[in-house]
Amino acid sequence: MTKPITDFATRVNAKFVLDPRLVVEREGRYYLLNKKLQGIARKDFFYAGKYLGKAKDPKFFPSFNLLTMLAETKANKVIIDEKAAWLFICGRDIFSNKITAVHGSKRKGDHTLVFNKFGECLGFGRITGNLDAKEGAAVVKNISDVGDFLRREG
Amino acid sequence: MSSKEFFVNRYEQMGWNFQDASPKQAIRINTSNAKGKNLESRLAAGGVQLKKIPFLEQGYWVQRSKVSVGATAEYLLGLYSIQEAAAQIPATVFTDLKDKMVLDACAAPGGKTVQLADLMSNTGAIVALDVEKQRLAALSNHLERCHIGNAVVYNRDARQASGLKLKFDRILLDVPCSGNFTSDQAWFTRRTIKDVERNAKVQREILTEAIKCLQDSGEIVYSTCSLEPEEDELNMDWATKNLNLRIENVDCHGQEGLTDVFGQRLDNSIRHCRRVWPGETQGFFVCKLVKRRNSN
Repeated sequence: MTKPITDFATRVNAKFVLDPRLVVEREGRYYLLNKKLQGIARKDFFYAGKYLGKAKDPKFFPSFNLLTMLAETKANKVIIDEKAAWLFICGRDIFSNKITAVHGSKRKGDHTLVFNKFGECLGFGRITGNLDAKEGAAVVKNISDVGDFLRREG
Repeated sequence: MSSKEFFVNRYEQMGWNFQDASPKQAIRINTSNAKGKNLESRLAAGGVQLKKIPFLEQGYWVQRSKVSVGATAEYLLGLYSIQEAAAQIPATVFTDLKDKMVLDACAAPGGKTVQLADLMSNTGAIVALDVEKQRLAALSNHLERCHIGNAVVYNRDARQASGLKLKFDRILLDVPCSGNFTSDQAWFTRRTIKDVERNAKVQREILTEAIKCLQDSGEIVYSTCSLEPEEDELNMDWATKNLNLRIENVDCHGQEGLTDVFGQRLDNSIRHCRRVWPGETQGFFVCKLVKRRNSN
């Protein structure tokens, strides 16, 4: 039941434990329910507890709740400066000279969480180049960012 | 007599001289997410100037802003919500929300649901209902953006809430209403007294259903953004006489509820309701109801 979620956690190298008894799947969407909600949530709910993401074969689209939970673990992380943070939530990729710190993998093809200078998770991306490169080249491809909340409204 | 003259004349009979009003934009800080984040300074650095709303613990007016407050990183991260000032009042009227079972019976788009969750520190449980399925996506986005984990949402009419077979300690009835002219420029040309009466009837049906789900020691907070007494004081008078409820005094912004409406004398306890005439905020009405002790 929780495989799409734990598989995603593995892709960002997160040590993440999820009690499968607390996870409910509805139409490909996964929710984490606390014990109180488990006692009252009926099968016909529209949304419940913490939304974790959506599986649409073969992909899994993590929610920002899940990214925030993974952000609290030891996962792949890049921290970017203020201007790059703004561009990232506008859907742009990350340039190497805007990265202020890297934790975890620097390997091309790996996924990484993206943080602003306040330690807040803005989304995630895929490493596409040398994160340590001095020249400004796009090195993290934006896959998902919190600007999505605005795009959903549009 | 034009529709506007009709309604303005009614407001004058209720003691308020009509004046155009454009409520200021307001935000509410989500304390669970913004704790220790120095939000005011961060927004100021981004060109958003705030001013504390004196009658709200977490509410701020947006005095000036170089950017849309609905598009900042802080907003997208759920550190605050955009919520009209008067609309922030109802959730604060409940006593002690932590660990409670709460029903938000007409929840979309979810501003008050998120506020309730914040006041509950994400403890207990909120059951949020809305009859319009297309509005549930906005509600769900709001819950996700603000990292709310204690709510369950159903596409359900508040008039069928008892079908959930749950009992609630607190029930928020922010009922569908006729609204007011501050949020709708065409209000006076679109609305008739028949709309008001129709809404008032639906509101009484929602109240009647809510009683079935209320714990004996529970509280109901009823609110509208209507200025029309049929949806406000007259409905509360009806509730005290027909639903074995009594009105509790609330200590919040606003004037006392009207006890004399167009020559009709209402229960004296109606004065404990709060009526907010438009000005810095939109028009609003709020009332807290509890079961009478002899209630079955």
